[in-house]
Amino acid sequence: MTDHIVASVDELEEGGRIITQLNGREICVFNIDGEYYAYNNWCAHQAGPVCEGNITGTTEASFDPESLEVSLEYCHEGEILNCPWHGWEYEVKSGKCLSRQKVQLPSYPVRIEEEEIIVTL
Amino acid sequence: MSQQAQRKESIQDTTIVDTDVHLSVPAKEVAKYTDEPYRSHMANTGYAPLPSSGWDRNLAGKIEHYTVQSPEDVQQRLCEEFQIDYPILNATSKLPRLPQSDLAVNLMSAYNDLLIDQYLDEYNHFYGLASLATQKPDKAAEELDRLGDEDQIVGAYIATTGPNPPLGDPEYDILYQAAQDNDIHIAYHGSGGAFMFEFPRQNQSFEKFIEVHTMAHTWSQMMTLSSLLVHGVPEKFPDLNFTFLEAGIGWIPMMMFRLNKEYSIRRSEAPLLKKSPEEYIREFYFASQPIGEANDPTHMKQLIDMVGVDALTFASDYPHWDFDHPDALEQYLSTFDEEGRQKVMYKNASDAFALEL
Repeated sequence: MTDHIVASVDELEEGGRIITQLNGREICVFNIDGEYYAYNNWCAHQAGPVCEGNITGTTEASFDPESLEVSLEYCHEGEILNCPWHGWEYEVKSGKCLSRQKVQLPSYPVRIEEEEIIVTL
Repeated sequence: MSQQAQRKESIQDTTIVDTDVHLSVPAKEVAKYTDEPYRSHMANTGYAPLPSSGWDRNLAGKIEHYTVQSPEDVQQRLCEEFQIDYPILNATSKLPRLPQSDLAVNLMSAYNDLLIDQYLDEYNHFYGLASLATQKPDKAAEELDRLGDEDQIVGAYIATTGPNPPLGDPEYDILYQAAQDNDIHIAYHGSGGAFMFEFPRQNQSFEKFIEVHTMAHTWSQMMTLSSLLVHGVPEKFPDLNFTFLEAGIGWIPMMMFRLNKEYSIRRSEAPLLKKSPEEYIREFYFASQPIGEANDPTHMKQLIDMVGVDALTFASDYPHWDFDHPDALEQYLSTFDEEGRQKVMYKNASDAFALEL
């Protein structure tokens, strides 16, 4: 396990991301609401550059058996990472895939020390 | 080179023919290759000059919108990024849906001239499929005769969502005869764009594109394949190869076995056939994309085994939003020997379109 300084905190604003090469892998660090997350830039589907995709919300639905009505909700705005190749959706804060229960982006510990963003690989 | 281009060696070392690569030709660009009054129509209309499905294919910003609008795009984004050695390009899928058959006929030669002039003449390892307007089969036959000497035109692209009557009808025999005479083999391609209009009325009540896109290509290809066999097209034109693009492969065993059963009962309705439908289907070629995504990967391997490594070709469908990377197919080929793998990645496509690799 090795620590890698990726950037200083003022180089990664909220909602932003930095993609960098670490040990031959492309690692992306996201800043979402002041929290930092690091993933491989490698989609579980066909290995597309998932971390380069748009961050959006998603649509969820609920069914009320009393009224037989379906309610749609556009939610989690700013929390869903979409692979630019085929649109596979991941929660950017957990790396969990929304359409496949057992699929998750490989993640790495991120910490801040003396205003520097450090990823452990 | 991006991380995505640094693939495992088996992909990098394998020759790959990609049987389904779509160009995105702006209307104003194809207008340059048309005659008046079609030139003004294509260049100036405020409406989309070609039929459009109206679906939001980019999922409201969730998916990137890729287009291929230059030969350099094909070379860099597909050939170099995906390690494709020989892309087979097609320029438009919309001609058979045009109500204006005179416009469709004029655009047919315009798209084909553009394909040759702007793409095939630029790279020797590019091949192309001639777009055909099916509304006037005699005009399509004339177009195939015109293109017969173009070495890099290896096939004819026929959109299967839209032609009426279905494509086995004898009115198309003149088209198939010209294709066979010119050694231009046939590639059929369904589409989600026309599906809402061309098929039974229930289609028109689908509310989501996911429903349309799940059904459209497969249904179009099943109709085409049934029509070809019942009318005996493979018997009439024995030197013609037939490739089916963009319907995946899950439907193929079902069609083999169901047609076998029907044919046993109703042989007199398909009297030109000399052997079982399955035997004809095993002489056709089928492109892999969109590769199925079974929960159990062994089921995909069984399916590929049923379709057979002699029939399967690789297709990416790049740059469309449901394209497949070569890895998506390659991961299922590990149970086949090296010869089988090579057949699927390039030899079958080479045979289907008589390529000179």
